[in-house]
Amino acid sequence: MWKEKRSMNSNLIDKITAWEPRAVWTEGGDGMFTVPADGFHDLAGRLLSEGFDFLRSLTGMDWGEAGFGVVYHLEATATGENVVLRTLTEEREHPVLPSVCDLWKAAELNEREVFDYFGVRFLNHPDMRRLFLRDDWVGYPLRKDYDPAQNPLRMSNEVSKDSSPTYELQSDGSYIRKRNVLFEEDEYVINIGPQHPATHGVLRFRVSLEGEIIKKLDPHCGYIHRGIEKMCEELTYPQTLALTDRLDYLGATQNRHALCMCIEKGLGVEVSERVQYIRTIMDELQRIDSHLLFFACLCMDMGALTAFFYGFRDREKVLDILEQTTGGRLIQTYNTIGGVQADIHPDFVRKTKEFIAYMRPKLREYHEVFTGNVIAQERLKGTGVLTREDAISFGATGGTGRAAGWACDVRKRHPYAVYGKVDFEEVLFTEGDCFARYMVRMKEIEQSMNIIEQLIDNIPEGEYQLKMKPVIRIPEGSYYAAVEGSRGEFGVFLESRGDKSPYRMKFRSTGLPLVACLETIARGTKIADLIAIGGTLDYVVPDIDR
Amino acid sequence: MHALLTSLMPLRLAVFIECVIVGVCLLLMYAVIAVVMIFMERKVCAAFQCRLGPVRVGFWGLLQVPADVLKMLTKEIITIRRSDRFLYNLAPYIVILASVLAFACLPVNKGLEVLDFNVGVFFLMAASSIGVVGILLAGWSSNNKYSLIGAMRSGAQMISYELSIGLSILTIIVLTDTMQFSEIVARQADGWFLFKGHVPALVAFVIYLIAGNAEVNRGPFDLPEAESELTAGYHTEYSGMHFGLFYVAEFVNLFIVAGVAATIFLGGWMPLHIAGWEGFNTVMDYIPGFVWFFGKAFFVVGLLMWIKWTFPRLRIDQILTLEWKYLVPIGLANLLLMVIVVVFKLHF
Amino acid sequence: MSNYIKGLFHGVGTLMTGMKVTLKEFFTPKVTEQYPDNRATLKMYDRFCGELTMPHDAEGRNKCIACGLCQSNCPNGTIRLTTETVTDPETGRTKKRLVRYEYDLGSCMFCHLCVNVCPTGAIRFAPTFEHAVYTREKLVKQLNKQ
Repeated sequence: MWKEKRSMNSNLIDKITAWEPRAVWTEGGDGMFTVPADGFHDLAGRLLSEGFDFLRSLTGMDWGEAGFGVVYHLEATATGENVVLRTLTEEREHPVLPSVCDLWKAAELNEREVFDYFGVRFLNHPDMRRLFLRDDWVGYPLRKDYDPAQNPLRMSNEVSKDSSPTYELQSDGSYIRKRNVLFEEDEYVINIGPQHPATHGVLRFRVSLEGEIIKKLDPHCGYIHRGIEKMCEELTYPQTLALTDRLDYLGATQNRHALCMCIEKGLGVEVSERVQYIRTIMDELQRIDSHLLFFACLCMDMGALTAFFYGFRDREKVLDILEQTTGGRLIQTYNTIGGVQADIHPDFVRKTKEFIAYMRPKLREYHEVFTGNVIAQERLKGTGVLTREDAISFGATGGTGRAAGWACDVRKRHPYAVYGKVDFEEVLFTEGDCFARYMVRMKEIEQSMNIIEQLIDNIPEGEYQLKMKPVIRIPEGSYYAAVEGSRGEFGVFLESRGDKSPYRMKFRSTGLPLVACLETIARGTKIADLIAIGGTLDYVVPDIDR
Repeated sequence: MHALLTSLMPLRLAVFIECVIVGVCLLLMYAVIAVVMIFMERKVCAAFQCRLGPVRVGFWGLLQVPADVLKMLTKEIITIRRSDRFLYNLAPYIVILASVLAFACLPVNKGLEVLDFNVGVFFLMAASSIGVVGILLAGWSSNNKYSLIGAMRSGAQMISYELSIGLSILTIIVLTDTMQFSEIVARQADGWFLFKGHVPALVAFVIYLIAGNAEVNRGPFDLPEAESELTAGYHTEYSGMHFGLFYVAEFVNLFIVAGVAATIFLGGWMPLHIAGWEGFNTVMDYIPGFVWFFGKAFFVVGLLMWIKWTFPRLRIDQILTLEWKYLVPIGLANLLLMVIVVVFKLHF
Repeated sequence: MSNYIKGLFHGVGTLMTGMKVTLKEFFTPKVTEQYPDNRATLKMYDRFCGELTMPHDAEGRNKCIACGLCQSNCPNGTIRLTTETVTDPETGRTKKRLVRYEYDLGSCMFCHLCVNVCPTGAIRFAPTFEHAVYTREKLVKQLNKQ
């Protein structure tokens, strides 16, 4: 599968070298182009106009002597072509790179993240504030020469600023710092979160209101930032696995699946058919679990507390199935490099079938109590519309993208595990409103059950764990692998220098693009709509903050 | 008792003592009803949500609410910095005052009512609408943006829905041509107004239930305290018994709404009589009036709880749309229909 | 006008459907588990990971050979081994022996690496779950019996 893609790429390699002769193609893992910083923005614009409209992932890097840089994973949504680019600057004191947030809106928060981690300033980026860390943080933590002793635990409050810095290039090559005003003095700004019943975790919005109507919204992330990417750089590959379960806790198996796939791809290991089946079934069970929780929480956000309990009651049954096999309910630690932790429990097949038989009528009940309800329909239909173009530009994958009519399912775009063999429908809507986002997920529960039904009786015999070397070293190069998580594309970017721990590990968060597009969707809606929009976007905060 | 007291002391003192006794009884009943309502709410909502509700404190959890009351009484009342201290402390008492005044109007049994004017219905509506002032004050004086939004919502909502309540009650008054509660009940001796007034009365009843539910800020109309949006709305900053007063007032207001519904639509303390079934009617007469009243009132309360625990919350513009585009026009048309019914003597 | 009336009745209809579902739920048996009253009947799945344990046989011996692999594989420093070197009096060979096996439940991530790597299967996860204690220190447990 991977080889096939590279041959497709060779055509593209010629094109790109024609557009930008200074671009150098390097092999090693997935391979990537190195583009000089001054020509990068032009090339990026060219690629965008050629159809590369989806910025899958944007990763900041510290290549030591070679300087700081950014790796871009691009995909053309029409053709499915992929290309990986990087650009870098040798300057270590005040690194500056061109911003691409005018081309892909997804870059906006991601470039802030790179600034936060590496101190790379992006020219013409409207909002160069830190994204996760406090404003008074000293140094840039993902730099290889960072000293953690500079930042003791601070007990003072962080004052939120009402303006943001931006950097513009002057004609003489220097750049100047300007200020962008976020909130005026006399605006009615309220804080929603970090402690608030409807933010599903510790996410904070500063919302400027006019009566009930939202004029502006400014998300603040980082309240549950743990620096998982930094931690991974000091852990061995098997040890990093434990951290993925703590990202999107409603997609624990899927996240871990992505990391295992990425490591297995680096090692060139092919796991057994049985493992593929088990992983697929587990991913789908996890998806049902997540979507049931989505339903429950959305109902609660909308004030229908009873439906909340129905969702949780049925989710409990999925958790029981997962717990019996994996030994964990939320944190499952199930996938391992080259297999899974334990074979499926003898009761697993029977219980899963029982659950599906139980769940179908319950879904009808959900539709009766909530979906069909005139109040719910009135509140969800037509509110919080995200257009297909915006969804792609923000990289808002998963149910959010599919509700806007973008066929962004990784299971269909880049089939992995046994998704290529099963027959399922990619649920698509075109409205892009809250109701479409809600319905996508409700329909996906049905599709997930279909997938499980096709697989559950045909799990082939075989090893559940390949014999791996005691110390795992991945050949030098960079690798990217993605799965369809419960709320979008969850990707792992891994750069290895042949050591037993990764040189850089980046998790493409499923939730960060959703937070990024929130401002666009929520502007002009009412405060009650913000809650419905937040509920239907279905972000999970530890996945955003990492 | 009046005779006993006047024989022992001057008339004025006797009347004063009587007033005190009545007042104490009233407040006692108020508190007991609040406790019963809260317990009922917790059990009913649990049953809808596949849960059990309180089971630990006392048999079947019966002592849970008294324990909560004790806890509430011993908690500190936190005063917020830079709040309007006087109004902040005053607000819960206004809310409770309105609630007690309205509560006093309810005729529990034959002759057992505290306030009985010839304009009783009018008084009840006037008294209950004082509550909105308390809520507005609470939101304003807390110096909290959430509270203020909650208070604004509540102002818009309660004042709008007062109109529908008025219209639906007016429909019945057209039928009864009296505004005195005791009279209204007395005229239902031969049949409840819900049956006597048939179609328009039924429509008025439904409108009354919807508007009454909105009037006491309960789901699906709980916007002023919409938990997932405004944390707790207008009472976000209140703690201890000040919060307790809001909480109690909300539940007793629900009871008042149900009680008024029982009084003017379901015959108050009048037993259920079915014409022609003499044996049945005599058996019904043996059941005391207050049992009938509370039975009917709690039936309506149960209905409202069922509604609350089923539906999602409306949005502020939808609440106003519902009122001004649906309830008010329908209520007006219904009033007209009732007038026609009465003029042409089409009622039973 | 007809839309208005149709919308009204449709709306009321959907509300009634919802109320029917909740009413049905009102009378179905409840799913609440009355913990801790059901302690006697509550059974965890045998694979549930509550804490790390070191099983001992009837004579109080465990299978640990003090190789330290679990300690070096732990991402969190949860496991701390204290060992001593003893000489077998018969063969004269020196051998490492376990003195203390300390396990900090408070920082365990249940990643399974220690259990997977153990060459003798001396440690495994147990399905106990009542771990509440008053101080963090009490979460540090000694797994081997002396």
